[in-house]
Amino acid sequence: MDILVFVKRVAATQEEELRIIDDGKNIDLSKIPFKMNDWDNYAVEEAVKIVEDKGGSVTAISIGSGESDEVLRRAIAMGSKDGILIESNETIHDPALRALAIYNFIKKENMQFDAIFTGVQSEDDQFAATGGFLAGKMGLSYASMVIGIDAIENGYFVLRRELEGGLQERIKIKTPCVLSIQSGINEPRYVSIMGIRKASKVERKIMKFNDYAGSGDAVIDLIRWSYPEKKGGATMLTGEVDAQCKELLEILKNKGVY
Amino acid sequence: MGYALIISEVRRGVFEERNLDAIGIANLAGKDAYLLIPEGNYNINGNMVDKIIKVKTEESMFLNPLIITGLITKIMDSSASPEMVIFTHSSSGIEMASYLAGKMGLPIITDISGYEKNGDIFFKSYYSDKVFGQFKKTKESPLILTVRSGSFKDFATDKGKQAEETTVEGLSGIEERSFIEYVEEEKTGVDITKAEFLLSLGRGVGNKDEIPKFEELAQLLKATISGSRPVVDKQWLPKERQVGTSGKTVKPKVYLAMGISGAFQHIAGMKDSECIIAVNKDPEAPIFQYAHYGIVGDANKIRDKLKDIIQGG
Ligand SMILES: Cc1cc2nc3c(=O)[nH]c(=O)nc-3n(C[C@H](O)[C@H](O)[C@H](O)COP(=O)(O)OP(=O)(O)OC[C@H]3O[C@@H](n4cnc5c(N)ncnc54)[C@H](O)[C@@H]3O)c2cc1C
Ligand SMILES: Nc1ncnc2c1ncn2[C@@H]1O[C@H](COP(=O)(O)O)[C@@H](O)[C@H]1O
Repeated sequence: MDILVFVKRVAATQEEELRIIDDGKNIDLSKIPFKMNDWDNYAVEEAVKIVEDKGGSVTAISIGSGESDEVLRRAIAMGSKDGILIESNETIHDPALRALAIYNFIKKENMQFDAIFTGVQSEDDQFAATGGFLAGKMGLSYASMVIGIDAIENGYFVLRRELEGGLQERIKIKTPCVLSIQSGINEPRYVSIMGIRKASKVERKIMKFNDYAGSGDAVIDLIRWSYPEKKGGATMLTGEVDAQCKELLEILKNKGVY
Repeated sequence: MGYALIISEVRRGVFEERNLDAIGIANLAGKDAYLLIPEGNYNINGNMVDKIIKVKTEESMFLNPLIITGLITKIMDSSASPEMVIFTHSSSGIEMASYLAGKMGLPIITDISGYEKNGDIFFKSYYSDKVFGQFKKTKESPLILTVRSGSFKDFATDKGKQAEETTVEGLSGIEERSFIEYVEEEKTGVDITKAEFLLSLGRGVGNKDEIPKFEELAQLLKATISGSRPVVDKQWLPKERQVGTSGKTVKPKVYLAMGISGAFQHIAGMKDSECIIAVNKDPEAPIFQYAHYGIVGDANKIRDKLKDIIQGG
């Protein structure tokens, strides 16, 4: 089974202050560390596991600046055969544009595959739309929130997708198809620095985004950034750790739980 | 005035409350609300929408993006095409909306939680609510949206008259993707929805080795341990402990969240707790907006100090 996996390099902002700059036009990511999108890590692992079991190959593909090479190297270290960078120095916010470029790339380069994997969502833009848009455009079958692949039969996946509140549905889906992989489906393997170094020796292809952009027109436009509305917020417990903890215990006592 | 086509979410006979958010944004945007729903005995306030379109089919067809896209395409190709197609930002809503957008080449904006009528601007979350992107569509065409549950339900109001109803022909299954069955999560010993006091752990606690130390604290406090999705994904805690849209909805007296950022899928599962206390080292963490009390600090240090104080008598 040949699988194309889409991997994105994203800013890890959880512990960082995010500043809006240029009058709302941009956000300052200059001091923020980057990493592979968490969901894509699960997608790569799932693809590699399948190929280890059934044979075939995994190709990792990323759209982004030259620095996205680091997520390709990681995907190779995890077991992808090779990596392709579709280089674009501008952030493409519209998931439709990203999906259209992927579509054009697959057609133009005559990429062969039995399945395309994406993550459920990017940690940065949380659109959760690139995989579905691509599937619709390609006219392929699609499933998202894939939380378990139970069987791979000739021409089909039998898989579980997550609904809500612990409920799942089991479905049968024909290949070739696009699957968006949910976090928790597997335990992504550990990647050592040695592994990444070895992966650097595998040749990666670099393509130009503009060659696949089509008309290049976004159908939605990000006009400005804003901070979330403050909702009143919490009463903050201040002072030394000792004082904070004592006050916390007082609150628990008052609420009658301790 | 055009109309918005709302794809309802129904599960095992229940019309989900999150449909109200889709109805709410249609109202806010000044569109008539047309509700698409499988035929069945669903409990709907028919005064909230302008039209109910019943489809002669089973519920599971509404879980299939290929089939639903086929149906919506037909409606859109008819003379009276909607100006918006609205889904919930849920597991199946996201799946259908993105597929439909790709199939028809239409603009899509997902996870909408705010709207500015002046300029027709939609607010969507980035970086788990640390900032919001304000979007506009740039071409004249129907717009596809997924809306965050809880965001617009207050705008789903009674219109004072019963909706018109129509029934359309059935949908049949397809080979490309077929429903087999619903699968329920295994029931195990603990039920975090019954606990009065939850000590809830997020990715910020660092690694698996920290968990037993929190379990000691939970024992001292007589609290029950729960957690966010990443903690469960990494198998630091079992699945039945997960709080959030794809886990459990909890409403304890006290929810003490340590190292949890406050993504909406998590907040949706615990926001109705009587008292929320958040410990996070990032003063800008979105969870502080929902908490009653907050401590900016290291969860592991706070944990150790709490243990010291309690054990010290
Ligand atoms: C379809 C779908 C369903 C989902 N369902 C759920 C769900 O049911 N439940 C759920 O929780 N999530 C769910 N998610 C995931 C959700 O979007 C977030 O990714 C998740 O809630 C983040 O978990 P977190 O807060 O533990 O981690 P992060 O967002 O990584 O946050 C970690 C936090 O810890 C803080 N921190 C770091 N170190 C320390 C320290 N030493 N002391 C104190 N604080 C520290 C950081 O500042 C940060 O705020 C779902 C996502 C999708 C797409
Ligand atoms: N720039 C990108 N490069 C590679 N893959 C991407 C890119 N953007 C999105 N994807 C893929 O699409 C998934 C969903 O992204 P999104 O629609 O942005 O939430 C991600 O998990 C990736 O697998």
